[in-house]
Amino acid sequence: MNPSGETTAILRASAVGKQVAYHGEMLTILRDVSLAVARGETIAIVGASGSGKSSLLAILAGLDQASYGEVTLFGEPLSKLDEDGRAALRRARVGFVFQSFQLLPQLSALENVMLPLELCGRKDAAALARQRLERVGLGHRLKHYPRHLSGGEQQRVALARAFVTDPELLFADEPTGSLDPVAGEQVIDLLFRMNAEQGTSLVLVTHDPDLAARCDAIYRLHDGCLLGAGV
Amino acid sequence: MNLLQRWAFALRLLLREWRSGELGVLLLALVVAVGAMTSVSFFADRIERGLSQQSARLLAADLVVNANAPLPAPWQDEARRLGLSLASSVSFPSMSFAGDEAALSNLKAVSAAYPLRGEVSLRLMNGREQNGRFAPAQGEAWVDARLLSRLKLKLGDRLGVGRLQLTIAGEILREPDGALDLYNFVPRLVFNQADLAASGLIQEGSRARYRLMVAGDGRQVEAFRRWAKSHLTPGMRLENIEEARPEVKTALERARRFLGIATMLTVALAAAAVAMAVRRYLARHWQSVAVMRALGMGSGEVWQVFALLFAMLALACGVIGAGLGYGLQWLLISVASGLGVETLPQPAWWLGLLGPLSSLVLLLGLALPPILALRQVSPLRVMRSETGAPRIGALAPVLALSALLLLAAWQVGDATLGLWLLGALGSFFVAVALVSMALLALVRRLARRSGKLGWRYGVANLARRPWLALIQLVALSVGLMALLLLTVVRGDLINSWQNSIPPDAPNKFAINIQEDQRAALGDSFVQSGRPAPELSPMVRARLLAINGKAVNPAKLADERARRLAEREFNLSWRDSLPAGNQIVAGKWWEGARVTPQFSVEAGLADTLGIRLGDSLSFDIAGTPYQAKVTSLRKVAWDNFRANFFVLAPPNWFAGERASYITSFRLPPESEGFVSQLLARFPNLTVIDIGVIITEVRAVVERLSRAVEVMFLLSLAAGVLVLWATFAATRHERLADMALMRALGASRRQLRVVLLSELAFIGALSGFLAGAGAMLTGAVIAKELLALPFTPNLWLLPGGVLLGMLVVCGAGWPLVGRVANAPPLAVLRAEL
Repeated sequence: MNPSGETTAILRASAVGKQVAYHGEMLTILRDVSLAVARGETIAIVGASGSGKSSLLAILAGLDQASYGEVTLFGEPLSKLDEDGRAALRRARVGFVFQSFQLLPQLSALENVMLPLELCGRKDAAALARQRLERVGLGHRLKHYPRHLSGGEQQRVALARAFVTDPELLFADEPTGSLDPVAGEQVIDLLFRMNAEQGTSLVLVTHDPDLAARCDAIYRLHDGCLLGAGV
Repeated sequence: MNLLQRWAFALRLLLREWRSGELGVLLLALVVAVGAMTSVSFFADRIERGLSQQSARLLAADLVVNANAPLPAPWQDEARRLGLSLASSVSFPSMSFAGDEAALSNLKAVSAAYPLRGEVSLRLMNGREQNGRFAPAQGEAWVDARLLSRLKLKLGDRLGVGRLQLTIAGEILREPDGALDLYNFVPRLVFNQADLAASGLIQEGSRARYRLMVAGDGRQVEAFRRWAKSHLTPGMRLENIEEARPEVKTALERARRFLGIATMLTVALAAAAVAMAVRRYLARHWQSVAVMRALGMGSGEVWQVFALLFAMLALACGVIGAGLGYGLQWLLISVASGLGVETLPQPAWWLGLLGPLSSLVLLLGLALPPILALRQVSPLRVMRSETGAPRIGALAPVLALSALLLLAAWQVGDATLGLWLLGALGSFFVAVALVSMALLALVRRLARRSGKLGWRYGVANLARRPWLALIQLVALSVGLMALLLLTVVRGDLINSWQNSIPPDAPNKFAINIQEDQRAALGDSFVQSGRPAPELSPMVRARLLAINGKAVNPAKLADERARRLAEREFNLSWRDSLPAGNQIVAGKWWEGARVTPQFSVEAGLADTLGIRLGDSLSFDIAGTPYQAKVTSLRKVAWDNFRANFFVLAPPNWFAGERASYITSFRLPPESEGFVSQLLARFPNLTVIDIGVIITEVRAVVERLSRAVEVMFLLSLAAGVLVLWATFAATRHERLADMALMRALGASRRQLRVVLLSELAFIGALSGFLAGAGAMLTGAVIAKELLALPFTPNLWLLPGGVLLGMLVVCGAGWPLVGRVANAPPLAVLRAEL
C-alpha cells in the first residue's frame, strides 16, 4: 500500500469481497481486497483474464456492490448509498474510459462529450465539450457520429468525455484493448498527459505490463486475491 | 431426432419462452389480430343466421304481396281458392297524439288473422308478458316504448290517431314483421284494420303500403307465387322468405365491408408487430441454433423444431383470439344495433375454428421465411459469433402479402376487393410514412439547436433507427386518426350541418293536406297571427319511360338509380321557380298558357341519365302523361322547404286529386300550435325536423360506436407495434442507460430521457393523426356533403396531447424496466 495514501485517500477499499450464487453454489470472485488511492495518485490493477480485475473496478466505482467489506469513495461509504446516491457521487467527480469506448451511437461526438455535463445540469456544456474535443485533436470531427470515427478517434472522444467534468478520479478499463498498437499508444499518451495536467487520480485495469508500469503503483490480482502493490 | 422428439423439444422451448415473457408482444399481437377478425365473422354470421332462420317470422307470413294501393279482390279470391290462410296490413306514417303532445309514428293496421307466422310479444297492463299469435282488438292499440315516452303515456291511457281514440292495451316488445328495423327511429303503433276507415287517415296521396300475407303448405304457396308473378302490376312486389328484407342484407354487407376495413387495418399493424417480434426472437436464437448444429442437429431438424414451435404458438393464440372475438362480437351487436342480443341465434360453432386457422396463416406467412433461413446458420458461429446473419430472401414479402391478402379476402368476402383494400391501406401507409419522414427530418434539425438533454436524446434515438421510428409513427398515427375522425370530426360535421341550416329555416313539415282543407288551414295560421303558409300540391307518379324507352328498375346498374326508379315520385306543379332552386340548364316556363313540360332536379337527372330535351312519361293513377324536359334545376335541399325532383306547369294535371305539403317555422314555445292544428285536421302529418336531426345523430352515433370498437383494436395494434420496436431495441437501450448510469445519471434523469422519446413519438403521431383527421374532415365536408366547414384547429393540440398520453401510458412499463438497468451492464462485455 502506498503510505502517502493513508490520510488523503479519495478511494479506499477495506477487506472487500464478492460472491455470486450460481446454480445453488456460491462462487467467490473477490476475496478480502484492500487498497487506497490518494489524490493525484495513479494505480494499475493487473492480472490474468478471469482474475476479477473488472469486478473489482465495478465495485470500486460503485457500479456493483461488494458482498462484504466497505468501499469509501470521496469519504462516503458506498454501502450506505442506494443506486441513485452512488450515481450522484459519481456525477462530475468520476470519469470512465472503457475498452469498447461505450459512446452512444445516436449522439454526435460533441453530444457524447456534452452528456456528463448535461447530467450535472451545466448550461455551458456545448462550449466546454468543444474545447475538450479540440484538446484531443478532434475539433474537426464535432458533428461526426461514432460509426464514422476510427477506433482510436472513438477512444479519444471517450477520453474527452471522461475529462470534461474535471473529475477527481478516473477509472479506465483496458483502454487500449480494442485498439491497434499505434492508436493505443496515442490514446495512452493522451490519457496520462491529461491526467497529469488535471491532477486526476487514476485507477487503470490492464493486462499490459508496459502500460501498468507508467502508474505510481501496481496491484496484482490472482484468483480474486490481491497479491500486493509494487512500484 | 424423430418427429415425436422434435415435437417434445419444440414444446419444451415454447413453454420456457412463454414463461420468460420473451414471446409477450408476439402473443398479444396475434391475439389482437385474431380477435378483430373473428369478432366481425361472428357478428356477421349471427345477423345472417338471424335473417334466414327468422325470415318467415320476419314476414309474419310465407309470402307477402306488397303494394302501394289496396289489392283488388281477385287476389284474395285466388289465395282463398288455393286454400291459403290470409291476413293483411296497411302501414303508413301519421301523427299520434295525447293531450298537448304529438309524435310522428309508423302506424300499422292489421287484420284479425295477423300474424300468420311468428309471434307477437307484448307487455300487458298487469305487467305480464304475453306471447302468441293475436291481433289488437278493435278500439285498442299496441305501441312501442318510444311512443309511450314521447307522448308521456302509460298502458291503459288513450291516444289519438286521426279521428280515432284508441286505448293502449299493450307495449310492443317484439312484432314479427318489425323486429329488424334496426335503424328505424320512428315509434310504432299497431291497431285493428277495422278501425282504419274511422280514423280518416287514408286519403288521396297518403303514402301507405298494403300487404297481403298468405301462409300454407309449400305447394299452395308456390302456386300462389306463380299466379301472383304473372299478375303483378307496377307498384307491387312479392316478398318471400329468401328475399326477406333485401335492404337489411345490403346494409349488413356494407357494415361487414366497413368493419372489414377496420379489421384489416388492425391485422396489418399487428402483422408488423408480429414480423418484428419473430425476427428478433429468431435472431436471438441464432447462437443456440449454431450450438444445436455443432452438436449434430440437421438443418432440416432445426427449422422444423422452430416451425413446430410457432405452429403451436399460433394455435394457442388462435384459440385465445377467437375467445376475445366472441366477446367483442357481443359488444359490437349491442352497441351497433341496440338490439337485444338474445334475439339472435348463436354463431356457427365452426367459425371458432377460423381463429386458430387465421392465426396459423398470419404467423406462418410472416415467420416461415426467417425460420427457413435458420438452415443457413453455420455451426461455425459457435466459434465466431460475428459470422453474418442468415439471409431471409425475397420470399418473405411475397409470403407475408399473400397471407394478408388471403385474410383480407376472407374479411371482406371478395378477393378483388381484398386486393384493393390492401393496396389502399398500403398507399395510405406510404403517404403517412412520407409525411412522417419529412416531420422527423425537420424535428431533428430543430433538436440540434435546442439544448435540453431529454429532448435531444429522444430525437436522436428516433433518428438512430429511422425505419423503426417510421413504423412506430405510421402504426400509432393511423389508429389515432381513425379515432379522432370518428369522435371529434364526426361531431363537427354534424354540427356544421346543423349550423348551415339558416336560423329562420322552417322546422316543421305538414303533409297530407287535402284539397278541401286548404282554405281552413290557411285561416288557422292567420288566426294565430302567423303568415299563411305556401301550399304545394303533389301527386304520386311513376316514371314509365325515357324517350319512349321503358324504365326497368331491375336493369339499372346503379343502386341509387334503381331505388329512384322503383319508387313513386311526388310530382308538383307551379308558375314560378321555387325559392332555393336554380336553373342550371334550359329555361323555366313563363306566361299564363304554357305547354306541358317538365323541370327535373339536376342530381336525379344525372343518376337516371335524363338530359335536357328528353321526353319523359309518367303514370299518375293510371293516366299516362308525356312531355319534354325543358329545364334542369339545382335544389338547395337543406333549406327545408318543400322541394321536388320533378315539376310541371299548372293546370296540366287538373283532373288528378292532389294532396298538399307545406313547411313552416315554429318557435319552441309555440309547440301547442301543432296540437291545435291536429285537433282540427286529424289527418295531417306534422314532421318535426329537430326530432329528425336528433334521431339521425343518435343513429350515426350508434353506428360509429361499433366502428370505434374496431378502431380501438387498431390503436391497440399500434401500441403493440410500439412495444415490438421497443423490445427489438431493448438491449441497445439497456446499454445506453447503463452507460448514463455509470456517468452519474439519476434514475429520474433516465426516466426523463426515456419518457421524452415516448412523448416525442406520441406528439408526432398525434400531430399527424390530428392533421390527417382535419384534412379528411375537410374533404368529406367539401366533396361529399358540400358543407361550409371550418377545420377544428383543436385537433392539432388535442391530437398531440392524446398521442402523448397514449404512447407514454403504453410505454411506461417499458421505461420502468429500462430505467432500472444496473450500471454494471456497461462492463458486462468485459467481465
